[in-house]
Amino acid sequence: MDDFKKRFLDEAFEHVNALEQALLELENNPNNKELIIKVFRAMHSLKGGGAMFGFDKVSEFTHNLESIYDMVRNDQIKMSVDLFNITLQSVDHLKNLLNEETIPFSQVEEEHKMLLSKINEITGKISGINPPVAIKETVKKKDDPDHVNEQKIQTYYIIFQPKENIFKNGTNPLYLLDEMTMLGTCCIIPHLNKVPDFDQMTPTLCYTYWEIFIATKEDVNTIANVFIFVEDDSHIEIHKLSEHNLFDHPDFTEKIAALKKDKFDIGINNLQKFIKNLKKITPRVQTEVLSDKKVIENNERKPEEIKHNIIKENSISSIRVSSEKLDLMMNLVSELVTTQARLSLYAEVNETQELNTIAENVQKLSRQLRDTAFSIVLIPIENLMTRFQRLVRDLSGELKKDVVFVAEGTETELDKTIIENLTDPLMHILRNSLDHGIELPEERVLKGKNKQGQINLKAFYSGANVIIQISDDGAGMDYEKIRQKAISKKIITPDAVLNQKELLELVFLPGFTTATNITDVSGRGVGMDIVKKKISDIRGEVELESKVNVGTTITIKLPLTLSIIDGLLVKIVDVNYIIPLSLVQKVYAIEHKEISNLFNNIIELDGVQIPFFYLRTEFELPVNEELIEEIVIVKYEDKQVGFVVDSVIGEYQAVLKPLGKHYKKQPIVSSATILGDGTVALVMDSNKAIRSFSHQSKIKEETL
Amino acid sequence: MSDAEKSGINSYLTFKIGDETFAAHVSKILNIIEMTRITKIPMVPHYMKGVINLRGTVIPLIDLKLKFGMPETEYNLNTCILVLEFATENKISYIGAIVDSVSEVIEITDTELQPAPGIGSKYKAGFIDAIYKTNHDEFILILNIDLILSSDEIENIRESASIADTKDS
Repeated sequence: MDDFKKRFLDEAFEHVNALEQALLELENNPNNKELIIKVFRAMHSLKGGGAMFGFDKVSEFTHNLESIYDMVRNDQIKMSVDLFNITLQSVDHLKNLLNEETIPFSQVEEEHKMLLSKINEITGKISGINPPVAIKETVKKKDDPDHVNEQKIQTYYIIFQPKENIFKNGTNPLYLLDEMTMLGTCCIIPHLNKVPDFDQMTPTLCYTYWEIFIATKEDVNTIANVFIFVEDDSHIEIHKLSEHNLFDHPDFTEKIAALKKDKFDIGINNLQKFIKNLKKITPRVQTEVLSDKKVIENNERKPEEIKHNIIKENSISSIRVSSEKLDLMMNLVSELVTTQARLSLYAEVNETQELNTIAENVQKLSRQLRDTAFSIVLIPIENLMTRFQRLVRDLSGELKKDVVFVAEGTETELDKTIIENLTDPLMHILRNSLDHGIELPEERVLKGKNKQGQINLKAFYSGANVIIQISDDGAGMDYEKIRQKAISKKIITPDAVLNQKELLELVFLPGFTTATNITDVSGRGVGMDIVKKKISDIRGEVELESKVNVGTTITIKLPLTLSIIDGLLVKIVDVNYIIPLSLVQKVYAIEHKEISNLFNNIIELDGVQIPFFYLRTEFELPVNEELIEEIVIVKYEDKQVGFVVDSVIGEYQAVLKPLGKHYKKQPIVSSATILGDGTVALVMDSNKAIRSFSHQSKIKEETL
Repeated sequence: MSDAEKSGINSYLTFKIGDETFAAHVSKILNIIEMTRITKIPMVPHYMKGVINLRGTVIPLIDLKLKFGMPETEYNLNTCILVLEFATENKISYIGAIVDSVSEVIEITDTELQPAPGIGSKYKAGFIDAIYKTNHDEFILILNIDLILSSDEIENIRESASIADTKDS
């Protein structure tokens, strides 16, 4: 049962998220009927599931909320800012309710009551003033002046009288009747009194007509749809008899049984009279029936829900898999790739034709498998958008700013670990943009800008990377302010000459904030440095661009996946190292004496002065005796730095393996990988390595 | 000896580091392997010897002798790597420990264990869970693997070891 509950919770959170997303979209297009239906649907699933799994509070609460949107759907109320606020608050509250294990109800009780009363205020107000006409039909409403809930079982009376020649176009009315019985509890009374004597009868004509009593939760349109193809050839009347399931009413069933026996055409007027009487005589019974009915309804709903689920499953295009399983699969695939590399190597050495063929096939398959497996753990960044939209919406309201959030390229996919780690930094960047970037509406008007500020999020692929750009059209960074701040924080000396880019870099230093007053939102000095750190933890890079009064753009560059990289395999003494290929720019062969005589560790290659590190020395290894060595030029920030290695072996696709806790503090190797021959190669973090080398060597940071 | 209690097994693997005999509960030992090809990692504490490939997993390697402040292990035919399981930050990790030789698996009941001497620095004494005296009046020091492997410093456990020596003589 716990398992079911867990699954329900998973699903419920998905519904809540869908709900939130639809609401936010709805706010932008309040007249979009489809969105309203989406909102309604999410609420409805939540309600149903909640009731089934004992989340009574959730189900009850959602029910109330649903009533509002039912009215919205039926055009009885218009969407308003108030309504949105309450609904969104309710959505938050629903999240709390679903977290019942961590948040006891007592903690949210007040909120619960407050929201309920607000909701009831809205629904109460409306239903009081405006007796709604929910379904435009010949149906007269008798007993339920409130709105019509689609899911309620209602009873209809239908007269279906096909024209005599209906058989001519191949219609079999019995099929239609069959179809009717699928809709709900049904009682069909055939009338044969129009059938002529046998000798006068033409067998190709239809003389029969039917009276149908049906209790269904479908609406009148669905019923009418059953007859849609015979509409022109038949006489069809559909009357609503009651808002309830009359089949639960003993008097009614008795009456029907009698009718069935007599084959007597009762006529709608008599029938309505009868039902009115039924109510007059037994108002108490009616209520009892009502409460009974609930039980029955629930019972009845189950098989139908199962049916729905089956349909859903048949058409389902995605499945839910626990992330542990995915992790396990990823590990296994990584192992397979490593083993395959070994097989290929072995096949190469042992020149057996057949083995070679097999090895090649395995290589092909494992490559495909790897690509597929990696694509499975990629999820679109769209998953983050709802949260961002919500943040912008709530915060802009709080800050009294008018901001619109536009997201582009949200279908761009990233590794799920990256997405998980990306949320906080992105939230922070957005908060910054809202708080410091976008100005107040009045201010914007004074500057000649559109009153409404805009924050854009753009995501796209760029080679093996994904770029996420967040830009605002706000005030931009005040370079002078940054400078002053840096001086006051003693980060730079007053006479330091820094260009704009260098000034912006300062923002990423710990404890740096330019906000003059600390707000609730940002400006606690734990800002951009954390953003930078978090993003570099997932091997990403952050760049900042800003123009005063035009806006700020933050560009985040991320790898597609964390578990595999393209690298350049190099050798130093007997150890293989991998340098991320994305950072490698050029490789030169050089004579040892070319570098051994340089005391300042700067070499001129192709006319460019490049500082370099002789890795053997840095690693405290003996100097190479070979005459020819190779120098790998890597990108370091926007400069170039050389690493002198013994030799470059070639490109290698490395499946990254953690080094374990004992090597965490180690400054140059970030992880390891296993080569085809089973030896371990070390993956260098060239940025960290350069930083670490420059601390202890003659090349100082400034010269880089 | 919570592990022993948990597993209900009282088997300990004894091994030599220098002249001293140590033991670790078998539940902590994943594997005993011969010396294999080691990939050295630059710029790490000298007792960390690099990494090895154990069936597709990269395992860090520690020289327990250096960790305990003794001279570096000289590798010979008897030198072994014990692949140990240890817990840090609620995670199970593995590490290969280089030891001079592996001796045998012995059964020790809890009652046969003597508490580690409380003399000397308490912290260092914590590395030794208990002491077991064999029939040949030999002392075996039972290591607290989790504690040893989760500390970053070189620990001179000789202090406590020498106490065992004095008792021995």
